[in-house]
Amino acid sequence: MQPEAQRRANARLGWILAGLALLFGVGFVARIMIFGG
Amino acid sequence: MSAVLPHHGDHAHDDHHGQPHGWRRWLFATNHKDIGTMYLLFSFTMFMIGGILALGIRTELFEPGLQFVNPQLFNQLTTMHGLIMVFGAIMPAFVGFANWMLPLQIGASDMAFARMNNLSFWLLIPAALMLAGSFFMPGGAPAAGWTIYAPLTMQMGPSMDAAIFALHILGASSIMGSINIIVTILNMRAPGMTLMKMPLFAWTWLITAFLLIAVMPVLAGAITMTLTDRHFGTSFFNPAGGGDPIMYQHIFWFFGHPEVYIMILPAFGIVSAIVPAFARKPLFGYASMVYATASIAILSFIVWAHHMYTTGMPVTGQLFFMYATMLIAVPTGVKIFNWIATMWKGSMTFEVPMLWAVGFIFVFTMGGFTGLILAMAPIDIQLQDTYYVVAHFHYVLVAGSLYAMFAGVYYWGPKWTGVMYSETRGKIHFWGSLIFFNLTFFPMHFLGLAGMPRRYADYPMQFADFNMWATIGAFGFGLMQVYFFLFVVVPMMRGQGEKAPQKPWDGAEGLEWEVPSPAPWHTFENPPKLDATATRVIG
Repeated sequence: MQPEAQRRANARLGWILAGLALLFGVGFVARIMIFGG
Repeated sequence: MSAVLPHHGDHAHDDHHGQPHGWRRWLFATNHKDIGTMYLLFSFTMFMIGGILALGIRTELFEPGLQFVNPQLFNQLTTMHGLIMVFGAIMPAFVGFANWMLPLQIGASDMAFARMNNLSFWLLIPAALMLAGSFFMPGGAPAAGWTIYAPLTMQMGPSMDAAIFALHILGASSIMGSINIIVTILNMRAPGMTLMKMPLFAWTWLITAFLLIAVMPVLAGAITMTLTDRHFGTSFFNPAGGGDPIMYQHIFWFFGHPEVYIMILPAFGIVSAIVPAFARKPLFGYASMVYATASIAILSFIVWAHHMYTTGMPVTGQLFFMYATMLIAVPTGVKIFNWIATMWKGSMTFEVPMLWAVGFIFVFTMGGFTGLILAMAPIDIQLQDTYYVVAHFHYVLVAGSLYAMFAGVYYWGPKWTGVMYSETRGKIHFWGSLIFFNLTFFPMHFLGLAGMPRRYADYPMQFADFNMWATIGAFGFGLMQVYFFLFVVVPMMRGQGEKAPQKPWDGAEGLEWEVPSPAPWHTFENPPKLDATATRVIG
């Protein structure tokens, strides 16, 4: 079991990284749809 | 600074308390060691499946003419061989190494997100089934190459959709694995394990995980656009509707070139652990190794179009990508120099892990040099899509990634299983693989220089001799891997062999050697107190 503070710190960083991944994926497609190739 | 916190109220116990048994242990696994084992076994299975497809290719190419498979099936074999080896074998294998070794190396109790770790692994199974099962779908497996180029993807049957779905799932699994690895390394290091004291394997994986998070979503975007082109009336890449297939290549290789480094950086980490252990000297230039790894990762984002010199880009573009690509030789050269400098005047012995590591340095460097040759636009335009390219990337991915993984299995295997492998059998595996690997792929350089194109089921008579030798080598190489599984892996998994001491290699350093062999189910439940070098537990 991880202590609560550790779990929260991990979750925070995990969500930031997941957000980054989402941003790269969606951003890339959006850029192509808006500005073309 | 490490963010790890002590577990007040817990008491350290390295027994198997709470360990589930039977199928539940594996299906509901949250222990990093169990998940690591599953990753490694899964990737070896995929390696064997991909290998069988490769032998199908080599069987057809044993002599000129069409003997065993028709050209359509031949293209399916090359495509699926590439997809399975890249996404099913090499990438999951390194995640397996990461799962097993990272918590042990940084003094963490487990990976940061144990349940997500379980999900990352089990997602691989449906994806692998979909990929392998696509051979039995109407029209057969995808045959557009592992790069699944448009507009070929428009012409494929339903198996293309299955492959796209499988790649989405594999990508999601990779991203989750990467998040887990980054959070584990950044948040769960033992106190005193500063970033610049971490083992190189942890550093290379940290950088690799960031690469994965940056580029896997790009691949997901590209194949989603392919899917909408196929079924929803869009024309991103379909020239019939005004789309641009060259744009697909740009997007694919923006993912694809960093992907090459995703498959090799963890290998650098494994070799950087083994060479100092068997040279009995500290790694030469630790900091420069870290910076070189980061430099390679950064440069990998600005070289993608060297895969596309023949698509008609302006000369200025060719020059930019040519020089940027050649620049990667600098940090890579730093690494190779450092490994050699580590060995220099070392008290060296050549147990099996060191043989694989030295084999890696020698043969991978050959692949690096041919990469440098291919980086030059005027030469690449001649060699594009020839067997010279096939030789190059197999020297990098087989002699690079795979050799390093074998080195890692022999090096850390005693820690995983608690028994030593047979030194004689390991040496047979190494020398057999080395000879047959070179017999398979070295002639391909000459075939490519003579103009033999890749992805063709047939060839003119003048290429017959080299192809015959390549096929003999491929079967020999495959046989050596069956030998490895039956006579090295299986005995170790069954616990047959000499009992492994806690630290089987007298020159090895690191926290993984501070726990017994086999590593207990629970390790470092309380953050260990480390010495100044962060390689020994002192309390």
